[in-house]
Amino acid sequence: MTKKDTAKKTVAKLKKNKHYRPAGKKREGNAARYMTRSQAIKQLQVNLSVFRKLCILKGVFPREPKKKVKGNNQTYYHVKDIAFIQHDPLLEKLREQRAYQKKIHKALAKKNEDLATRLRTREPSYTLDRLIRERYPKFVDALRDLDDCLSMVHLFAALPAVERLKINVLSHEWQAYVARCHKLRKVFVSVKGIYYQAEVEGQKITWLAPHAMQQVLPDDVNFSVMLTFVEFYETLLGFVNFRLYHSISVKYPPILDPRLEALAADLYALTRYMNGNTKRISEEQESGSTKPEHTRGQLEGAQFEESELRLSQLQHQLPSNEDRALMHLIEEDDDNDDDEDTKKCKKLFKNMKFYLSREVPRESLLFVIPAFGGVVSWEGDAAPFTEADQSITHQIVDRPSQGHMYLSREYIQPQWIYDCINFGVILEAHRYLVGRVPPPHLSPFVDNEAEGYFPDYAETIKRFEAAAKNEVLPMPGVGKDDLDDPQLLLAEGYLSRTEAIEVAERKKERATSEKQYLEDLKQEVQGHPDATASIAVEGAQVEEESSRPHLEQVAEDTDGTALMMMSRRNRGLFKAMKIAKDKKKAKVEKLKQRKKQIAEST
Amino acid sequence: MGVSIPPKEADRLKNIVDENGGSSDEFDSEGEASEGSEVSEVATEEDGGSSGDEDASTSDGSGLVDDEDENEGSEEGADANGSSSDDEKASASVDDGLESGEGSGDSDSERSEVAEESDSSEDEVAPRNTIGDVPLEWYKDEQHIGYDIKGKKITKKERQDKLDSFLASVDDSKNWRKIYDDYNDEDVELTKAEAKMISRLLNGKAPHADFDPYAPYVDWFKWDDAIHPLSNAPEPKRRFIPSKWEAKKVVKYVRAIRKGLIKFEKPKEEPRFYMLWGDDSGAADKTNHLSYIPAPKPKLPGHEESYNPSLEYIPTQEEINSYQLMYEEDRPKFIPKRFTSMRSIPAYEDAVKDSFERCLDLYLCPRVRKKRINIDPESLKPKLPSRKDLKPYPSTCYMEYIGHKGPVVSISTEFSGEWIASGSTDGTVRIWEVESGRCRKVWEFDEAVQYVAWNPMPEFPILAISVGQDAYLLNTGLGNEETQRKVGELLHVEAAKVSDDSS
Repeated sequence: MTKKDTAKKTVAKLKKNKHYRPAGKKREGNAARYMTRSQAIKQLQVNLSVFRKLCILKGVFPREPKKKVKGNNQTYYHVKDIAFIQHDPLLEKLREQRAYQKKIHKALAKKNEDLATRLRTREPSYTLDRLIRERYPKFVDALRDLDDCLSMVHLFAALPAVERLKINVLSHEWQAYVARCHKLRKVFVSVKGIYYQAEVEGQKITWLAPHAMQQVLPDDVNFSVMLTFVEFYETLLGFVNFRLYHSISVKYPPILDPRLEALAADLYALTRYMNGNTKRISEEQESGSTKPEHTRGQLEGAQFEESELRLSQLQHQLPSNEDRALMHLIEEDDDNDDDEDTKKCKKLFKNMKFYLSREVPRESLLFVIPAFGGVVSWEGDAAPFTEADQSITHQIVDRPSQGHMYLSREYIQPQWIYDCINFGVILEAHRYLVGRVPPPHLSPFVDNEAEGYFPDYAETIKRFEAAAKNEVLPMPGVGKDDLDDPQLLLAEGYLSRTEAIEVAERKKERATSEKQYLEDLKQEVQGHPDATASIAVEGAQVEEESSRPHLEQVAEDTDGTALMMMSRRNRGLFKAMKIAKDKKKAKVEKLKQRKKQIAEST
Repeated sequence: MGVSIPPKEADRLKNIVDENGGSSDEFDSEGEASEGSEVSEVATEEDGGSSGDEDASTSDGSGLVDDEDENEGSEEGADANGSSSDDEKASASVDDGLESGEGSGDSDSERSEVAEESDSSEDEVAPRNTIGDVPLEWYKDEQHIGYDIKGKKITKKERQDKLDSFLASVDDSKNWRKIYDDYNDEDVELTKAEAKMISRLLNGKAPHADFDPYAPYVDWFKWDDAIHPLSNAPEPKRRFIPSKWEAKKVVKYVRAIRKGLIKFEKPKEEPRFYMLWGDDSGAADKTNHLSYIPAPKPKLPGHEESYNPSLEYIPTQEEINSYQLMYEEDRPKFIPKRFTSMRSIPAYEDAVKDSFERCLDLYLCPRVRKKRINIDPESLKPKLPSRKDLKPYPSTCYMEYIGHKGPVVSISTEFSGEWIASGSTDGTVRIWEVESGRCRKVWEFDEAVQYVAWNPMPEFPILAISVGQDAYLLNTGLGNEETQRKVGELLHVEAAKVSDDSS
């Protein structure tokens, strides 16, 4: 009875005073919406490491409340985020695991090895697929977040870990897909590793693969955090790969040739597997095709025979070499459903055959060259063709000098490949020959115009491209039959029509301005043929001269007043922008100065 | 070789050496060691007391060899003399001796003979080592392993060069039979029979080939004539009723199986990956949790991060040194370097660290959605009107005050704003009514008026002017009578001196 009364009273109180709150009972605003990390841990009843793991797996991150109730040096989580973790079955699973570990521990402590091993066989485990679906409701979302995932997976593939093999396979599967579908766009060899940029379903995905070297494992790194990330990323990449393979009708996970796998030629094995699979599918399509396609099929057959003949001449013949030969023909088939870029990329190294020497980074080049339509082999076991093959057009070497040279091919450094890809043009090979210091390797991710500084080599390439364009312009209607000509191929493949038009327009403008300038000069030389005009001009000049210092003064004044008239927020922003701009300018100035010094010193 | 060997014996000696697996030199130096392999033989020989001086054999290795040679050579005689207990053995050794006497030197038969002899005299042969049952490492640094019966040290065999021993072992096909006995410090060569025995043991069989493990059972107890049973106890009940506890156990298991607690087949391994994003069209449903803020992507590398950047991107040594003077947070994190070929790129030592830092950023950094402003900073400035457009003064004529004949040099407004005083170069000072433009008062001077100013105090409407070198205070005559009186009192001067009122 009394209880009821008091409850009524409090309700009445609450109604009367909207913001009444008994001390420590209810909170509002930021205090109610955000909690600190220790509060969160307390609420979830887990320890810090488990909380960290949950946060990583669930993708929960701290947020910045407007008002930091508990102080500035705290991490704040949103209450809803924490509730989100709390209601996840994963939390329960982790607790279960912990309890189970205790059981095993106990059995071991009692020297009951039997029980321990029996318990170990059925440890509770969890899967992350639900979490992935939850975090990335659409496939595109997953692709958008794939950058970190790929970088991490590639790094761990290079680490000497026990679980490495699985992760290595994942990274190779991804690479095989990118290469097979010609999705690779840019490659950049930096000191940190090799950056690749691919465009999958409209998403630009950039990742960093470390150089194939022994990695340094620092002491001040918490590997358990990294391993949690890797665990998640591994699952994510697996599902992404599945979806991608499915989209090109290849079975996933792929079954690889064990011989190649043993030789650590995973990537090659994968590409062969994929090609083999797509071949089967295309054959199925062909069987139900109409007459013209049938003739093409015959043609294909003829070419196939030819290629087989050629291959049979090779000493090291592989059982499924014909797959590869066929693959090129198929590729021509499914040209239609690709976008412009992909078509371009597909054709870059077409009709070229590469051979890799021992010392070049094989893994990277085996990935990159097929992605741009080239055929590649390497020095070592299970290589598709040997060095003695006469049809090789380029041999990639990275040594001070080459002993025996075939005259039929060019000996170039690996940078040539990367530069060709980034500029989208087949560059002249003479700069990249054996033993030479190659020209600077430029980053394809930099917008030189926005940066305000053009390195020399970028200019050179631009000129080269322009020269290539010039040759194209006079002959707009090129028949498909003379595609073999490298120059035309170059033009067809890499220079779009709109660009050419733009260039022409720019030229026209330049021409008109030059003409005007010449006329002006002529007038000055002749004296004053038109009196009124000259007077007007002179008057204007006088006016200009007289008003110049004045104008400067005016500009300064208005700047000052304008700055004063701005709101405080805008003024801060303006100043910050100006500082950033100045910094950029200073950077460019520094570069120019260094360049000048170098030019002077040489 | 220290001793001269009769040429006839050389052949046989070589044969023995081959068996022992060492070169002839080795054999020589390891006189004592070789004794190990032949020890049983020697021992039996000594039993027979046919030949062999104990002293000679221990003190001088070569002596032993010689001795052995003698033994081998005169095997027939020795055995014939020897009072061997076992007839078979004796005959075997005789046979062997005959064979070896023929010169063929069949090693196999010789070995078998040795094995048989050693078999019989196994217990009689005392270990060479006399240190007793103590850990061997106590004698690790010593030259001897115990003392013999005469108190002399039993010296250890010299350590052999590893390489030599390896080479020797490679040459010898029977090397696999050699075992080093570290207790007695000698190499023991297993005989063929011994090796066979070991292999039988390893295969889990009885050591002797002639032992039959499946021999028919022989029941030695006589059952036929027994009148009484062995035990007269009645058969217990438990022998013929089913066990209760077993039944209970069975029921327990059955229930567990029914409940699914015990599973017999392993759960089928499902493919780990499947089509997670089957149809994206249905996935657009709104979730009721907070919006996900994607992490910003890592910065893309610029030209300077290239392995082979343009020369101008590489800082000079002075610049690198100057970085040390900077604050740590201002210091550039990455110093460009140039490698002229791809093969010379070293491993990047911070790869794992960078990756880890990125991980930390991903899960520890608070994320806030911020609008990135990509505008021209000039557009932030407010649009000010140009100076030409700004006219703080009226541009049209509203009122004209007419009266002055020369240019007006100075004007001053009265405190109330009702009156204006103006001084002109024509030597006049006028007071105007502002609203109407009427001239209220005029003073005339000889020289041009330079400046006029009103008294700022409202109760004394006095005008001060400067004319040439003189300054005048003029009573304007404004205001009511009382103010006039006050002004008059203030400005009261003798009439004669008015014109001279200069200061």
